[in-house]
Amino acid sequence: MSRPGFVLDVDERTPPLLMHQGEGFRLERLPLGAKVIYPPDSLPGIRNVDAAIKHALLNPHGTEPLPELLTPGMRLTIVFDDLSLPLPPMQTPDVRQRIIEQVLEMAAAKGVDDVELIAGNALHRRMTPAELRRTVGDRVFQAFFPDHLKNHDAEDHDNLLHMGKTKHGEDVEINRRAAESDLIVYVNITLTAMSGGAKSVSVGLASYKSLKHHHNVHTLRHSNSFNDPPNSAMHHSYERMKGLIDEHVKVFTIETTLNNETFPSSMGFLNKREWEWNVRDQASYVAVKRANELLPAKTRRRIWQSTAAPYGVTGVHAGLQSEVHPITLSNVHRQQLTEVNGQSDVAIYGLPYICPYNVNSVMNPILVMSLGLGYFFNLYKNKPIVRQGGVAIFYHPVPNEFHPVHHPSYIDFFEEILTESTDPVLLETKYEEQFATDPWYIQLYRNSYAYHGVHPFYMWYWGAHALEHLGDVIFVGGNRKTTARMGFRSATTLADALEMAKDTVGSSPSITYQHAPPLTLADVR
Amino acid sequence: MILALEYHRSPARFLAARGLTATRAGGKMSGMIAGNVSPMRLVNRQAPELPGEGWTRVTPRLSGICGSDLGLLTGRSSPYLSPMTSMPFVPGHEIVGETQDDVPGVPKGSRVVIDPVLSCAARGTAECRWCASGQQSRCDHITAGRISAGLQTGFCADTGGGWSRQFVAHARQLHVVPDSLPDDRAVLAEPLACAVHSVRRVKVASGSTAVIIGAGTVGLLTLLALRQLTDVGAVYVVAKHGHQQEKAKALGATAIIEPGKAVRALRRVTTARMHSPERGGDFLLGGVDVAFECTGGAGGLDTALRLVQAGGTVVVSGMPGGNVDLTPLWYRELQLVGAYASGADGADFADAIRLAESAPLDGYVGTTYPLARWREALTHAADAGRLGTVKVAFAPAR
Amino acid sequence: MSIRREVKLLRHGRDWRGRSTVPKSAQPHELEHEEREFPTAWARTRTAVRARAGLRRTLLKPVVWSQTTPVVEGTEYLDGVRGPVVFVANHTSHLDTPLILGSLPERFADRVAVGAASDYFFDVRWRATLTAIFFNAFPVERYGSRRLRSLALDLVDEGWSLLLYPEGTRSEDGWMNPFKLGASALCVTKGIPCVPIALRGSYAAMPRGRNWPQPGKPRVTVRYGRPLVPEEGEDVRAFRVRMAKAVSQLAAEEDLGWYGALRAAADDRLEVPGGARSVRPGALAREEPTAERAGESKAGKNGKTGAGAGEQVAHWRRIWSSTEPLGEKRRKVWRD
Repeated sequence: MSRPGFVLDVDERTPPLLMHQGEGFRLERLPLGAKVIYPPDSLPGIRNVDAAIKHALLNPHGTEPLPELLTPGMRLTIVFDDLSLPLPPMQTPDVRQRIIEQVLEMAAAKGVDDVELIAGNALHRRMTPAELRRTVGDRVFQAFFPDHLKNHDAEDHDNLLHMGKTKHGEDVEINRRAAESDLIVYVNITLTAMSGGAKSVSVGLASYKSLKHHHNVHTLRHSNSFNDPPNSAMHHSYERMKGLIDEHVKVFTIETTLNNETFPSSMGFLNKREWEWNVRDQASYVAVKRANELLPAKTRRRIWQSTAAPYGVTGVHAGLQSEVHPITLSNVHRQQLTEVNGQSDVAIYGLPYICPYNVNSVMNPILVMSLGLGYFFNLYKNKPIVRQGGVAIFYHPVPNEFHPVHHPSYIDFFEEILTESTDPVLLETKYEEQFATDPWYIQLYRNSYAYHGVHPFYMWYWGAHALEHLGDVIFVGGNRKTTARMGFRSATTLADALEMAKDTVGSSPSITYQHAPPLTLADVR
Repeated sequence: MILALEYHRSPARFLAARGLTATRAGGKMSGMIAGNVSPMRLVNRQAPELPGEGWTRVTPRLSGICGSDLGLLTGRSSPYLSPMTSMPFVPGHEIVGETQDDVPGVPKGSRVVIDPVLSCAARGTAECRWCASGQQSRCDHITAGRISAGLQTGFCADTGGGWSRQFVAHARQLHVVPDSLPDDRAVLAEPLACAVHSVRRVKVASGSTAVIIGAGTVGLLTLLALRQLTDVGAVYVVAKHGHQQEKAKALGATAIIEPGKAVRALRRVTTARMHSPERGGDFLLGGVDVAFECTGGAGGLDTALRLVQAGGTVVVSGMPGGNVDLTPLWYRELQLVGAYASGADGADFADAIRLAESAPLDGYVGTTYPLARWREALTHAADAGRLGTVKVAFAPAR
Repeated sequence: MSIRREVKLLRHGRDWRGRSTVPKSAQPHELEHEEREFPTAWARTRTAVRARAGLRRTLLKPVVWSQTTPVVEGTEYLDGVRGPVVFVANHTSHLDTPLILGSLPERFADRVAVGAASDYFFDVRWRATLTAIFFNAFPVERYGSRRLRSLALDLVDEGWSLLLYPEGTRSEDGWMNPFKLGASALCVTKGIPCVPIALRGSYAAMPRGRNWPQPGKPRVTVRYGRPLVPEEGEDVRAFRVRMAKAVSQLAAEEDLGWYGALRAAADDRLEVPGGARSVRPGALAREEPTAERAGESKAGKNGKTGAGAGEQVAHWRRIWSSTEPLGEKRRKVWRD
């Protein structure tokens, strides 16, 4: 039985606590009385994942077993979550591979010939062949790539199908092949409470035309938080679109959840609570930290980017999305939910080296913003861990670095748009359309490995709720120029940051540190 | 006897200056090299004699240091120009001064700015076809006549130049300055006239987009001329230094771009496509209509060629140096247009004086130096952009 | 940050072994201290056996033999016995194990593993390491709080003889406590012989709480008995009784002599520990009270039958009887 999450009160006996800080980490002594939110201990993974998958496929929720849905001559489309899940990527074999292989075995047994595999990457960059191979495994790759194993192309207008509008007037336009299939099998990994469910098909296979109805400032400001679907306007929109999609095509969803084994054993101390570090953990902390600092920046990035998490699978459930997702969510909560009493004046977050959009890439300042003010800030249910008008302190160096291939529109967004304004609404009304329709970005998205032109805007919207909620944002160790460009402040140490926060929250603020990763979802009462 | 800064023939110093500035570190210290290595010296010498009728002695009040002067001193300027100079000469061609003799139309004691081109009229030769048509800057007789070779005042052994207490000028070179125009604006008249000329060298269609590469004196004044004299649409300025960005903004630039980000930024505003060759800089398919190269460096011209859309125009305003890949010129069928000095039979100069009065040019002449502090002045001029200055000038009378 | 400052920060609030204090609010969330069995396989490698033999000859035995006067009897019963066997002995002192290991014939001494309390000997790493290298100890779970599978069966399978103290702990007062079932069960299931051993005088030489023998080279006796072989179909409990009797008889030899003890055993007059009752080693059930031995006779007279009846002998009297010097009452001045 693994321990539940809990909230630590920093006292005299508390050792210095670990903070992630980009491609590195550090120990930090928090002020006495600060609260620290720890996630539940990593749950034990399912021993025999393959058997669990088989069981799920044969005993689905709310629909017939998968083999009964497969008929000779049918059009079967298997869609799977793209590179942005999970984080960091899981050690091979990926659970998606295991599932897809079993689905294909059943399809082969039933004589299904017309099978197409599509990565549900929406406006994310295409996955490279190597990345596809890593996700679906060698056998599937060799059998289907490149003709029948593809990335979704949201700008290939011939291959998009406009299904109509929801009752709220939202366009639903998704991948034509998927929409015209007899059955979509969606293979999902639900890492946070945000993903999975209605999001899978309605977002993963959608186009800009469809996405702009929920990926906008208004919706995100009313998604409090987007990790709490019942209170998320964004998820309500997903649900409406999903409803429309269900009228057109049958979707068989397979959702999986992972435990909190986020770091490999060589960095096991990152998975442990600091006062439980033994001598070995401490030695490896010093050694890894030192080596990490001495490495040349390029090598360091390569090593971080090549770490794979030894995730265990905590649940595999298949069937009708509306019946599967609640189970999946409860699994996510079981692993991540920690109850917190009340909000505080200051929230502290240590931002790690990876976010959904820089796998095998560079974490640029916009992504840091979206990771901090978007993902981490929104890791809550009910209320944010910091009060309205409070201060968020993030740990990240925020270097002024961009991946020229993956994030071309980000560079322009940062260099030209942010210099004019950081107000999400203004940016949205003035520039979103221009970026979304820029032919060069579209070309790079379709033919190179670039995120769509509009994607940096979505990143900025992701933090819109936090920007509205927070009184001040301070980055400890952040590059002064880049943080200033985004409208934030930077401090050298935590003490300086708290000093800077004084103007906003007074001299003895209450402090909460959300200790992640491994991910914690704070249930603030 | 007058005090003058003299450029003399010294192959050793010339080569040393050229060699040093060619290196990476030397390029950064070009001010120091211009001041210490180049074949310059401060001398007491005979005042230049009046070559004949229609000439007057002029005492400079302010005399600017031009980028081409620095290029000459550091040996970066092209050897092509060497036949059009005569040694030893006194540099300085951006001059506001006072006449010492009466000449037709300009009484003694007038405050004047000089059009430095030494064309047929000054040389006393029969008018060549260009001078006859009012395009004196294209004069073919630049090496002939009663004075020695020299394309401009400041490159000719017989006329003297602005970096001295006195020089001589022909009546045709003089433009009287209205009293309302202070010296520190009047000294900008010559470069502004060049800018006006460069803008008039191309047809700038209404609403077309332009980019100006470099925001030194030439770049800023080109921007001014472009905004005032044409119906151009958006004008983007590639500026390196903070104060240049402010000044460009004040002169009506649409946006100011840092040099390293020029291609990307222009790609976005022109919705072009950007490509990265295996070697060399990025370029655009699509892009701006016209580019003004105002840096006087190979890099600036190279960038300009990569930013202009097919069929577009690149105007070379700065004195060019170095080698440039001309493939875009060929492939995109560009027009490469040179713009030297001023023209239109003095109309450019008249417009320049008018613009100098009205435009927000305060603080452009940041610092003036007496001749005795010439090393300091040259060092400052070479680093002007970084030091927050647009134009450094000598005040020889001090 | 310099590595010194890094380490200093890391060391903050940790003890010299790098263990941190647990924050107060984290205490309810502490993990059950998960015990890992201390690995002892390395102590049974050929190299370790050689090293141990060396240590025994050069350190353990010389020191013990110089500080006490051991009298060893009955080793001839081991001639012709082929291992593995289980040695069982009464246990009153830390001297017991060195005495037995020092007095065993080499061929057994090298091939014997000693069951040691895991909660004491294998509690901390350094002690576990020393115990394992000197005595070839293996952890034995004595309270059964955790269901660790004992190594004993594996060791027997690998041909190791075992030295076990069936009482489960050193005696508080030198008296013998009832035997636990483990040793007997092991012999019965594996069908291997059990060699009883009785130690007398070791309590007097170095009781609980001392870590060095009493001065004056006190006399201790180590008596080996004839191996007991579990009979076909013999009950574990029955075998345990045989074992306890054999040890008691050997203990009684100190007082009664070989034949006397044999007779007492045959007449069933020996006090044998059982139930919750502890007995003085070598005590007789119906012996006349003497000045020193009033306790056990009284116990006998109380006539409380067998198991379960608690002894009413005062604590001091038990210690008194246990610390009675063996043999000569006076200290020897000269060596023999």
